[in-house]
Amino acid sequence: MDDDWSDFLALMFQRLLPLISTIFLLLLSYMPFFPLAFHPNVSVICVYYWLLNRSDVFNLFSVFTIGVINDFVSAVPLGVNIFELLFLYVLVSNFLKYFNGKPFEVMWCGFIPAAFLAMFAKWFILSVYYSQFLPFMMLLFSILITIAFYPLVCLINVFVQNKLMTDER
Amino acid sequence: MQLSQIRQLIKKFALVILFLIAFVLMMVNKTDTILIDKTSSMATGILSPVVDVLIVPARLVAHVYDYFKDMSLAYEENKFLKKENRKLRLIGEQARALEIENRLLSRILNFTKPPVDKLTTARIVAEEGDAFSHSLIAYIGKNNIVEKGQIVLNEDGVVGRIDKIGNSYAKILLLTDINSRIPVVLEKNRTRGMVAGDNTLNPKLVFLPLSSEVNIGDRLVTSGVAGVFPPGLPVGFVSKIDKREIRIQPYADLNSLEYVKIVSFENVDELNRDVSLDVE
Repeated sequence: MDDDWSDFLALMFQRLLPLISTIFLLLLSYMPFFPLAFHPNVSVICVYYWLLNRSDVFNLFSVFTIGVINDFVSAVPLGVNIFELLFLYVLVSNFLKYFNGKPFEVMWCGFIPAAFLAMFAKWFILSVYYSQFLPFMMLLFSILITIAFYPLVCLINVFVQNKLMTDER
Repeated sequence: MQLSQIRQLIKKFALVILFLIAFVLMMVNKTDTILIDKTSSMATGILSPVVDVLIVPARLVAHVYDYFKDMSLAYEENKFLKKENRKLRLIGEQARALEIENRLLSRILNFTKPPVDKLTTARIVAEEGDAFSHSLIAYIGKNNIVEKGQIVLNEDGVVGRIDKIGNSYAKILLLTDINSRIPVVLEKNRTRGMVAGDNTLNPKLVFLPLSSEVNIGDRLVTSGVAGVFPPGLPVGFVSKIDKREIRIQPYADLNSLEYVKIVSFENVDELNRDVSLDVE
């Protein structure tokens, strides 16, 4: 009986690992050791990665949870990060399924329009919210930084998926 | 209807509901700030300790690196500091004489001094700076002095103001954030204006009278007009003037903040008592 329970808990933990690792990386991205504009949008990278690779354990509610946490840590109005990640969820699950299981370079290429559209949607909704356009060059810079950080964040996610998650085996 | 179809329907329904929740949150944020403030402060109090623990190893590595970097520069720096110290001692003597004169004159004129600033030092735990918002989270400990709206400084000048206070942690809105407005005066001619952030690294100077004379390099200090900030704190200097806008360069380097000071007002009577004691 005890073994059943411990197996069940271990399996649950395994299935929560994508969410836990994303929260961990998200909080880590707020570390005050980089210049101000050099903070990649880690939540977008992780959501894109896990939705393509393990959509069975990283679902809509995981995306929502990440959005809520990001909203609370960030200074943007509540709901904006949730909107951005839900928008990314719609993009990935409807239009970018093609990139599932493709080589890394192809997935990275797929990430470029995904990041651009998701962050542009956030920029647009915030511009409407504040009734003024936010700096577009800063948006482009944020997108470029996020795209540039994609391989590094993916490396950590690949480690979590291949080394720590054993539920598939 | 098959099970997979039902599942798909629920999924789509859930997606719509979650989108609606996001929009409702944004609307509530726009209208009911007390509710949002309380919720957000509570969440800051819960999440910030996690970030605080996460940065410990990185901070340790950074300190070791800084230690060896400083050691290599110690000799040259020591020579420079000795030279500077000689100059500062002279300036210190002059400043002391001027301060005593100022206090005596203020007393003769029965001048009511502005409230004294009490400083709380806070350690930066997290920062955010992109096209969407510019903010910091700082550890303030358990203290009742820090309040929403108080100004935050570093050794060079104004950094921003307190936005939300959680359990031992505070969220600071940087002066470059789109929600930041700081009343300032041009130091040379006392013209009033407002430093308004727009999520770029150089905030705008707005609400200046049309006739005002502004040049590149002009210093800006807090005006203290709104009664929230103490007057005379250095904010920045004018860095760009064109037909449409005036941009400023903050004195504080917002890229390398480790510790900041939070300014809170003290009792006026206490200051007056101190002054009279000193003069006597």
